[in-house]
Amino acid sequence: MENLEGLKLMAEQWSNQGIEYLQKIPPFQLYAAIGLLLLTTVLLLSFRLVRRTKSNTVLLSGLSGSGKTVLFYQLRDGSSHQGSVTSMEPNEGTFVFHSEHAKKGKIKHVHLVDVPGHSRLRPKLEEFLPQAAAIVFVVDALEFLPNCRAASEYLYDILTNANVVKKKIPVLLCCNKTDKLTAHTKEFIKKQMEKEIEKLRASRSAVSTADIANDYTIGIQGEVFSFSHCCNRVTVAEASGLIGETVQVQDFIREYI
Amino acid sequence: MLEQLLIFTRGGLILWTCKEIGNALKGSPIDTLIRSCLLEERSGEVSFNYGAYTLKWTFHNDLGLVFVAVYQKILQLLYVDDLLSIVKQSFSEMYDPKRMRYDDFDETFRQLRVEAEARAEEMKRTKQVAKPLNGVKKQGQVSKEETKKSNGEKKDDGDKVSVLSNGNHKMEDDVANGKENSADNNINSVGVDVSKLAKLRSKGVRGRGGLRKADSLGSNKGSSKVEPPKKATKKNRVWDDAAAAPKQEEKLDFTDENGDNGHVDVVAAADQGESMMDKEEVFSSDSESEDDDDDEPRSDEKPEAKKKGWFSSVFQSITGKANLERTDLEPALKALKERLMTKNVAEEIAEKLCESVEASLEGKKLASFTRISSTVQGAMEDALIRILTPRRSIDIMRDVHAAKEQRRPYVVVFVGVNGVGKSTNLAKVAYWLQQHKVSVMMAACDTFRSGAVEQLRTHARRLQIPIFEKGYEKDPAVVAKEAIQEATRNGSDVVLVDTAGRMQDNEPLMRALSKLINLNKPDLVLFVGEALVGNDAVDQLSKFNQKLSDLSTSGNTRLIDGILLTKFDTIDDKVGAALSMVYISGAPVMFVGCGQSYTDLKKLNVKAIVKTLLK
Repeated sequence: MENLEGLKLMAEQWSNQGIEYLQKIPPFQLYAAIGLLLLTTVLLLSFRLVRRTKSNTVLLSGLSGSGKTVLFYQLRDGSSHQGSVTSMEPNEGTFVFHSEHAKKGKIKHVHLVDVPGHSRLRPKLEEFLPQAAAIVFVVDALEFLPNCRAASEYLYDILTNANVVKKKIPVLLCCNKTDKLTAHTKEFIKKQMEKEIEKLRASRSAVSTADIANDYTIGIQGEVFSFSHCCNRVTVAEASGLIGETVQVQDFIREYI
Repeated sequence: MLEQLLIFTRGGLILWTCKEIGNALKGSPIDTLIRSCLLEERSGEVSFNYGAYTLKWTFHNDLGLVFVAVYQKILQLLYVDDLLSIVKQSFSEMYDPKRMRYDDFDETFRQLRVEAEARAEEMKRTKQVAKPLNGVKKQGQVSKEETKKSNGEKKDDGDKVSVLSNGNHKMEDDVANGKENSADNNINSVGVDVSKLAKLRSKGVRGRGGLRKADSLGSNKGSSKVEPPKKATKKNRVWDDAAAAPKQEEKLDFTDENGDNGHVDVVAAADQGESMMDKEEVFSSDSESEDDDDDEPRSDEKPEAKKKGWFSSVFQSITGKANLERTDLEPALKALKERLMTKNVAEEIAEKLCESVEASLEGKKLASFTRISSTVQGAMEDALIRILTPRRSIDIMRDVHAAKEQRRPYVVVFVGVNGVGKSTNLAKVAYWLQQHKVSVMMAACDTFRSGAVEQLRTHARRLQIPIFEKGYEKDPAVVAKEAIQEATRNGSDVVLVDTAGRMQDNEPLMRALSKLINLNKPDLVLFVGEALVGNDAVDQLSKFNQKLSDLSTSGNTRLIDGILLTKFDTIDDKVGAALSMVYISGAPVMFVGCGQSYTDLKKLNVKAIVKTLLK
């Protein structure tokens, strides 16, 4: 108890001394110091806010088996290494494209995320959508027709997602595996997907006031759906993950990052 | 010999394959393994069969690596588990996230393989002496045991223990050292587990390998019992306590040819507003941390020895450096399993889920400022969301439109056990479809239960949709076929086929059901199950699926495509039946019936269910 009393007394003495010292400083210096402190904090916060709005995240999405993981490693390392299997988790990386390593000057890094395409892992896409600045939707041009419906449904879900509509996130429809002879052309794929999405529109945006599964509807009422009706930009490109033909994808990404 | 050994990341990049054994694998076993086993939360299982191959795997959860070994199914290589674990150890030492090629691992692998093979040879030699005795006894015991069981002998307990010990021997032969210890632990635990295990084996729930034999034996016995009475009276469906005399058969068909006796009141078309299928599900987003406080008092109840453990775990949770061990995970997983079981999840399913979560967390580093229980909870939540998220699209509207384009009706068959609500929910689905401007037709293929046809007729009149009926005591498969032809003729978009309720063990009824499905090739086989069901859900679904696959005639086997969960409003938060059903069958829940009026049909809200399960 006595120790406590002694400590209390000493603390009081020190605080009194501190206050006296403070009062000795001319008021001008004090105000200047506080003002400088406030200014720096305000500047730091504003810088952070400004930087945050410009995200550099690009999502690679698409059905399982369309070639997203191979494309990811092509963009990052310039080779697909020893091949890939069905992904169970997303692959993330922040880097400059492999082909841009030789370029000089300050190139902005791209935060590329390869989201697994398996239907059970669909919720993972929802996690990354809020921070996306652009989306690359990869489609298998070789085995297109059997998967056309599933791919269109996935694309429809992305295009009607609240984040995508509100922020007008641009989407690239990338037709992968074009190095093979029997791969379809991008025009064919684009037309087929527009037709499928038109059918989806008819069946999904139905009588009810609340749309069953989707946040928004797309396209213009009464007209056949076309990608130009979307409020965000949808472009089509070709690529081949295996041989490393990814120029169109890189150009698309660089347009927005 | 080993066909292939792969090492790949969880993100999908292959890091190393064995180049010595350069055999190309037939089909895509690795992809199938990932899709149908690892992503289905069955990673706790021992092995996976694909075509002529068997696959075994192990995880390194900390680095996010998966090691898979593929070998021929007919060979029973003993050293695979051993090899996988030492490969895991040595590879993780040389693993570097930046490196993509590991050619120098070839040498190491060759040495390890030679060592593992040598060890296996030695073990085989020491077991050679004991093996001949065990082998003969094993076969004889199992078949004898099964016959004893189905005839209800009194030596049950003794037999059960012997089954388990034989099972143990089986396991020893198949699997190397590691698994044996876990089997021993199982015996040492409470006696209830032993009997449950034996019961499950005799029922053949898992239905793989030797257990399939057990199930076919059991079902043969069942059918042989029913055969003799069936031969005597072919018309009547005779149960074991057959009271009805043969002469009364003709009088049992009370269908009135002229419809009702003039009591037809003009029923106004039922219009009760919007079906709940189309309403947005609004659920309150409670804070996620509300259950963290619940964990604390529970852990404090344990004896004082835990106090030291608690303090060190708190310390570890702050520093976050500990690698999760099986022993660390066990108490948390056990508590989680208990919690799941109180929410009416079948015991077997809860067990499997916990094993799968354990497999995915073992060896992982704890993130800082997290407790073990919250890590386990997070992993379990992920696993549950993954299971309940449908594997394929459940957009019926789209399928109906696709069938419409092909100018044929979309046929849905409702199957299930007695009294789950097939007819009621059929009417609800018809109401919902009608609201979306789809023309529906009902087919009354329940020709057994008195009043079934009248029930559907009443619904049809209220909804003002056509109904195809042929009265009672007719062959349901033929009635369904004619109904579909009628629908094609009058241009109905959808045909909803109501069938009689049947127990999954009833062989002749299940055969009749597969005949109906084989003959008519419906677009959707909907299993109707009630949310009140407990552990029986596992049995019902697995037996239904098994019978449908066993008795299918054409190459294209139709299994259960979707689940309709009924009586959802009667359970408050004991929603576990949904999880059991989805896990065991792999089919998504397409509708949820939550009341007895036409509008009480809604979709399954995955996040809400997972939250309720883990509350």
